[in-house]
Amino acid sequence: MIKLVDVHKSYGKQKVLDGLNLAIEAGKTTVIIGRSGGGKSVLLKHIIGLIKPDSGHVLIEESDITRLSEKDLNEVRKKFGMLFQEAALFDSMTVGENVAFPLREQTKLKDQEIRQIVADRLRAVGLSGVEEKMPSELSGGMRKRVGLARAIALHPRIVLFDEPTTGLDPVMTEAINQLIMDTQKNFNLTCVVISHDIQSIFRIGHKIAMLYEGRIIEYGTPEEIRASDNPVMRQFLSGSVDGPIKVT
Amino acid sequence: MKPFSASLDYVGRTVMHYVEEMGRIMTLFFSILFWMMRPPLKARNIFKQMEFVGVKSIFVVVLTGLFTGMVMTLQGYHGFRLFGAETMVGSTVALGMTRELGPVLTSLMVTARAGSAMAAELGTMRVTEQIDALYVMAANPIKHLIVPRVIASVLMVPLLTVVANFVGIAGSYFVGVNLLNINEGDFINNIYKMLELNDIYSGLVKAAFFGLVLSVVGCYKGFNTTGGAEGVGRATTQAVVISSITILVSDYFLTAIMF
Amino acid sequence: MGSITTEAKVGLFILIGMLLLGYMTMQVGQRGVGIKKGYNVDVVFDNVAGLNKYSSVQIAGVEVGRVEDILLKDGKALVRLRITPSVTLEKDVSAAIKTRGVLGDKYIEITPGTRGMAALEPGEQIRNVERQADIDRLLNQISAIADDVKTVSGTLSNVLGGQAGQDSIGGLLENMQALTRNINSLVVSNEATIRSMLLNAQELTNNLNRVVVQNDDKVGEVIENLRGASREMEKTFASFSQIADEVNRGEGTIGQLMKDNTTITNLNKTLASLQEVSDKINQGKGTLGKLVNDEETVNNLNQSLSGINRYVTKAEQFRTFLGYRGEYLWDKSNFKSYLDIKIQPKQDQFYLLGLVSDPRGRLTVRDYTPTGNVTTRTEEWDKSGLLFNVQIGKRFRNVVLRGGILESTGGFGMDYMALNDRLKLTFEAFDFSSDRNAHLKGYADVQLFKYLYLTGGWDDFISNRGNSSGFVGFSIRFEDDDLKYLLTSTPIPK
Repeated sequence: MIKLVDVHKSYGKQKVLDGLNLAIEAGKTTVIIGRSGGGKSVLLKHIIGLIKPDSGHVLIEESDITRLSEKDLNEVRKKFGMLFQEAALFDSMTVGENVAFPLREQTKLKDQEIRQIVADRLRAVGLSGVEEKMPSELSGGMRKRVGLARAIALHPRIVLFDEPTTGLDPVMTEAINQLIMDTQKNFNLTCVVISHDIQSIFRIGHKIAMLYEGRIIEYGTPEEIRASDNPVMRQFLSGSVDGPIKVT
Repeated sequence: MKPFSASLDYVGRTVMHYVEEMGRIMTLFFSILFWMMRPPLKARNIFKQMEFVGVKSIFVVVLTGLFTGMVMTLQGYHGFRLFGAETMVGSTVALGMTRELGPVLTSLMVTARAGSAMAAELGTMRVTEQIDALYVMAANPIKHLIVPRVIASVLMVPLLTVVANFVGIAGSYFVGVNLLNINEGDFINNIYKMLELNDIYSGLVKAAFFGLVLSVVGCYKGFNTTGGAEGVGRATTQAVVISSITILVSDYFLTAIMF
Repeated sequence: MGSITTEAKVGLFILIGMLLLGYMTMQVGQRGVGIKKGYNVDVVFDNVAGLNKYSSVQIAGVEVGRVEDILLKDGKALVRLRITPSVTLEKDVSAAIKTRGVLGDKYIEITPGTRGMAALEPGEQIRNVERQADIDRLLNQISAIADDVKTVSGTLSNVLGGQAGQDSIGGLLENMQALTRNINSLVVSNEATIRSMLLNAQELTNNLNRVVVQNDDKVGEVIENLRGASREMEKTFASFSQIADEVNRGEGTIGQLMKDNTTITNLNKTLASLQEVSDKINQGKGTLGKLVNDEETVNNLNQSLSGINRYVTKAEQFRTFLGYRGEYLWDKSNFKSYLDIKIQPKQDQFYLLGLVSDPRGRLTVRDYTPTGNVTTRTEEWDKSGLLFNVQIGKRFRNVVLRGGILESTGGFGMDYMALNDRLKLTFEAFDFSSDRNAHLKGYADVQLFKYLYLTGGWDDFISNRGNSSGFVGFSIRFEDDDLKYLLTSTPIPK
């Protein structure tokens, strides 16, 4: 489904991705974990073509998006939905207009039908009837759910989540996790989730990948990850200060 | 010798930085032109920006134009009276307003009001990943965010200039004829005698160009914001400074070309 | 505040701005006319120091134009003036450079020529130039003239020497005296009549000339016909002479008649009474006589001549234009066409008749609520597509207001003309109905070549039926002369 082959990316002298290889399976939820500022968001943006790698290939269903023109890239992007860290709702638009935005851009549906779909998606994330509110009137959790509704508005096959539970209370975290799992199952999605919330990753991930120093150092099912004897993995899971990961 | 080469290095790097920035602004300008040609343009977005840039700037532009016209009349009167030519005040103000002050002051006010807001708005959208979200939804941000702002500014700044010109001359008339007792007929006739259609039109051409400058620079600065809230503030300040300087400098060259 | 839409606010602002611009340019334009419009006349001065481009040109202190250009030609200054169209300069006007005011601004003063003299055509040169006396040159010229006079008088004395010369000259002079006296009395008694007749005749020939030039082919045809007719006449004359021969020989009825003496007596009598009639006519007796000798007749003739003149001038004023206009609406991907006839009886007034083909058609929406409270909404596109334009318009300087039927609905439009009519900004509003927003349209026309215009704008831009679309296109507009003469041959109200 999604394949990253030998991807390099550096900003100035700092190597963020250093020969990264990763294959993401279709119809599953893959969680990518790693240190804060360790290049997880950069990795995610490579998958959707927001950032082009210095070298290497990003294959989405066999097409190498690093070589596509803007126009062809947009065709590929129509398969994607993405939930941003702070939801990235357009604050000049109402919630309804936000969710309707991809529909208006990519389809020729009538107003009536668009309203129908918007109501439907908002119901799917448990937020019926907030169409007329402005994003600034919503709480963090609600914004994320609206962001999810917008991400799945066009029935994408792949949804990317950039730290969906960061900054939420435990109850809301659980609600969002539940929502991701339900959505994944109901729409049969391929999900890529970035997180460093240990509890969540084991709950939602079918597969887990550990990003460390620009490469994937561990990849497997939650059980395999839990049983891993890689010292970096162990330190990350236990949250200890001592170990190969240096706190600077 | 060390400080000398260091300062040379600094100068070189600064110059390169500005050249590079100019190049990037031009690149953005060409992609704006490119996306402008791509239908469909959303009329609603353009109208919204026209309201923001045009309608909401009327008040400040009227005030600016009015007081500029009045002050110029007051100042000019004392000078012209020395050799008994106070009836020339009106035409001086009218020429000054239509050719220079109308377009320049209007666009400076719009820069401060709308140009800065464009930079701040786009900057916020950049740092909260809203611009990335547009890309992800296969919607080009230049077309969605920048093109309507540029079109609105190019159309609205000349229109605001017309308002400023009119109000400025009206203010001049009020001060000159009602307060300073300049002969009304001579005052008006001198305006007619000196002012030509070309003065008005060339002022409007300038205004359209300034509208282009302030919107492209404002959007460029906002669009390329980095570094969170602080970055947004920096982008806003730079947008106003660069736009204002560009307007004042290009005004000189436009005047040199046109007259 | 909530009820005023963004579009309405922006629209209102644009309207106010355009009105202010229109007002200012109209006020300023009044002065500008003297420079932008009008015709060129050249004048050559020896020295134009102090005269500038745009200096004033005045007649009796009234500004009638400006200096458009100053060029050097053969060591002299060629000054090109632009004169307001309403002012005509006679061929014998004279020009001079004068000074005004403390600062010594130079301007050109034109002294009017003889009234009734032919006018200077655009591009011609003013011949009479007043210049400051230059004593040296004056003296030189006087001595040259004196030499000439001496030669002439020498020759004269040679010719006139001797008795024969004197006699013949005496006779010559007497004759001339008599002749001039006669001519003089003739001219004096009929001076006014002759002058007005001459003027009218001149005007008529001018106008006829124009008509003839425009109808060259037809004239050729007429001449061809005349030639044919004369050939026929020749034949007729031939048979006449044959008849005359027969008459002479006394053959045929007429011949016998002619040979008879009584006939001749009768004929003589007839001729005598004819003589009487013609005498009476000469003396002004009887109707015909009065007619021929009466001054009124001449006046009537004059009047009818000026009537013809007026008629021809009317046809000149009356103008018709044909226009085609195509707009490509890119949001709808279709082409809208306009075909117009603009009839312009006066410079500032016109009627516009036109057809519009709109492939998109017109959307009608009907709500139908049967008893069961279920509303069905039917949307119909009326694709028949042919719409009509019938408008009346008037022009006020740079602004044209027009109204009537636009695209088969009531509406009005406004044009703003700039850059000598090469740029036209148009706003139209029509189709005001309660269930949808009015149809508003704004566009700009730019003249590319003589007949070809480029156009672009936004059609139906506040549509709530999704009809809004930008467009680009072109239009062709030209004046039609044949149609003009067709239309003026029907009576026109004055």
